[in-house]
Amino acid sequence: MASSLDDEIEALQARVSALKKQLSIHTSTLIAARSTRQLLAQEDNTAIDASLKQKLLTQSDLQQAHNQHCLYRACATLTTFRARDPDPHAVDGGAILGLRIEVTSRAKFLRPYYVLMNRPYVGARHLRVHRHTLPPCIPLAGLAARYLPPPSASSSSRSGGGGGGGDGGSKDTTTRQDLARFARALRREVVRYHHRLGVVADLRKAAGLGRKKDVDEGDDEGGVGQGSRPVQLVDIAPADAETKQITLEWADGRTGRLVMGDDGEIVKLVVLGENGRDREAGRDLLGGAVRVEEVVKRLAAMV
Amino acid sequence: MPRISVPTTARLPSALRVDSSNPAVTKILSRLSRSSLLSVALDWLDDNNFALAQPYLREDENDDEEADETDGFYPPARSPEALRDLYISLQARKGSKREVLDRITEGDWRHGLTLYQLAMADLQYLYDHPTSQKWSAYRVTPLKAPTDPDGEEPPQIDTQSLTIPRFHPSTFLKTLQAQVLPDVKAHYTFDPHQSLPLLLLRIFILDSPYNTSHALQRQQTNNNNSSKAPPGTATGFDASRTVYIAFPDASPQVFISKPESTTPAGGGGAAGESKSLRNLLVEGIPKALSRPLQRQRFTLQSTNLVTRNLAELVQRRGGGRTNSAGGGWSIYADESGKKRETPLDLLLPSPPLSGKEGDEVNNGDGGKRRAASGLAGGGEEEEERAAKRARLVALARFGGTAVMGDGKGVERVDVVVEDTFPAQQNEPAQTWRPHVRLTFHGPHVFAGIRQLVECGIIDGERMPGWMTGEEGVTIGTVRNGRIRGHKGSGL
Repeated sequence: MASSLDDEIEALQARVSALKKQLSIHTSTLIAARSTRQLLAQEDNTAIDASLKQKLLTQSDLQQAHNQHCLYRACATLTTFRARDPDPHAVDGGAILGLRIEVTSRAKFLRPYYVLMNRPYVGARHLRVHRHTLPPCIPLAGLAARYLPPPSASSSSRSGGGGGGGDGGSKDTTTRQDLARFARALRREVVRYHHRLGVVADLRKAAGLGRKKDVDEGDDEGGVGQGSRPVQLVDIAPADAETKQITLEWADGRTGRLVMGDDGEIVKLVVLGENGRDREAGRDLLGGAVRVEEVVKRLAAMV
Repeated sequence: MPRISVPTTARLPSALRVDSSNPAVTKILSRLSRSSLLSVALDWLDDNNFALAQPYLREDENDDEEADETDGFYPPARSPEALRDLYISLQARKGSKREVLDRITEGDWRHGLTLYQLAMADLQYLYDHPTSQKWSAYRVTPLKAPTDPDGEEPPQIDTQSLTIPRFHPSTFLKTLQAQVLPDVKAHYTFDPHQSLPLLLLRIFILDSPYNTSHALQRQQTNNNNSSKAPPGTATGFDASRTVYIAFPDASPQVFISKPESTTPAGGGGAAGESKSLRNLLVEGIPKALSRPLQRQRFTLQSTNLVTRNLAELVQRRGGGRTNSAGGGWSIYADESGKKRETPLDLLLPSPPLSGKEGDEVNNGDGGKRRAASGLAGGGEEEEERAAKRARLVALARFGGTAVMGDGKGVERVDVVVEDTFPAQQNEPAQTWRPHVRLTFHGPHVFAGIRQLVECGIIDGERMPGWMTGEEGVTIGTVRNGRIRGHKGSGL
């Protein structure tokens, strides 16, 4: 009895939260709609009192600003924001410039990657990467060294390292930072990386391997494919951090390695069978393909 | 055993047997609990491992009675299947560890255990006791291509390189083997970690020029004076060492464990010796990772993170987003469902730590507190508000990290503070820098600091950032309130 009551309460609570969510979605749409704003802006509208109207107007402005923000994020995919470092000893009063990189994968926006920068250099407005959420396979350090070089040591000392932090001085012009190019190069690397990951997933799908979670289903598909193709691929997996190399495994024990370039072009493919290199299997798999996507198509057509 | 054994640089073969009465064998096996010992024994009898872990089986089928008399307490089994059944039945039964240990060393593997078996037992111990090793994290960094043809100048670190070092286990092992001197023999085992995204490499090192069973024989003379003998003369198992190297998936980092000696009589110079062994490895690993033909050379850089907790190492140096977003910054790396922050979500976000989100986190004990304060009366209301604020501050500074029981704690943090002495108001500014050294100890140092903040003992708003653990280092120097060099985070 008690358990059924509990279940009922739980179901009702779930419904309440679902309805609340729906309500807030409707609110956010309605409040920023043009007709709503027109209604609110009408001077002679006495249906609602002034203070409530003011409140609604500010809410509407906020919502519009947020909508624009989201639009920029979705379309430009590279946005900046300001943040504060909670550390009381943070450099530059804790001012942080954040860079937000949006990534889409499988028609969905992933959690954006963030690069948070501060200005630790005395007497120079140079930025330095403070924190970031990029995976280690993105060469952030190298890109930062190229596009965001620190000011030359002679003209200013870093406040973190230099004694007292009071010395140093003149503005440095010899090392110029280029935030825009840095951001573009970084985004390029991130997007390439996700495309490579995606292409490996596509390869697995095309070969009927499925995700690791639903191996059983994958096996079934593989069983179907076995009829039309002589030897089945049993494993396709990224072999290195950057997903530039893919290991391939065939059911008969042959193994292969496919090396991808930055943008998914095929650099090399080696297949090793029992008696050394198996060039025929390699040719079989590629069939004159130049890009990995073409291999995906070929595999999908074969299975 | 071959008649002549020639010193080579080859590795020790996995099938090499160690006498089961050897103290090293007893030490490795007796560290395991009864259930682990049984599961390891069953792993040995598994079809995949059977070739390298063959038990002592009865060869002759006919003379049963005679054999039973001569073989005494542990009659050899007839077939691997029978032995497997026997160990499974042991698993179901209660009994002492000693019983299983004796059965292995005096019964089923009386002719000795292979190095492969010992490696499996050692790895099992590592899984049973994940904090038994002390790991140091190193970063693999690319070097500039040498410009000097003689190779006289030390190579420079290439900060602008966009190469991410790649790791291929068998190639790595082959080149690492080439770095090893011929008077040291090693046995290598690779094993993917059971729960973490890591590849473990166990290196078992012997000071012996032979890669046959000569290397494994104990010198009787060494038994008595091994502690007195200089390190160079101790041969065989008395000078064996085990080192683990862990390679996190999709991250150019290497974790190296502190070498430990296998035999109890480590000897006087063991500390220095193990240190130099580690240095040898630190030198050898980047060479093994490098590919000079493709003009890719790497070096290892210490990242000032030493801990016994592999999960923490994976969190701070692994393949994910959390590497340089520790402490409060972890909200940016949080990938869990709610905070996806997709630009398609048009709902107005509520500022963090206000309203909804704050309530969610503090719901649990907030309610209790309210009830308690209701009993105690209105005088404690202010106190309660302060406690709530302290909790919010802790949440802001630590984010979702440093929670007791998340299994990602460091057990020791050493910090040297080199700030100037705070000047009195009417005195001129001093430049005296006292040398203050702080050491934090405990099962989870930063969770402890967080708890102190939550209790209001540490003022969370004035607390320096390095106390939240966001730098991801366990050794550091503080100048002007910040860890110097930011080696752990950022870049």
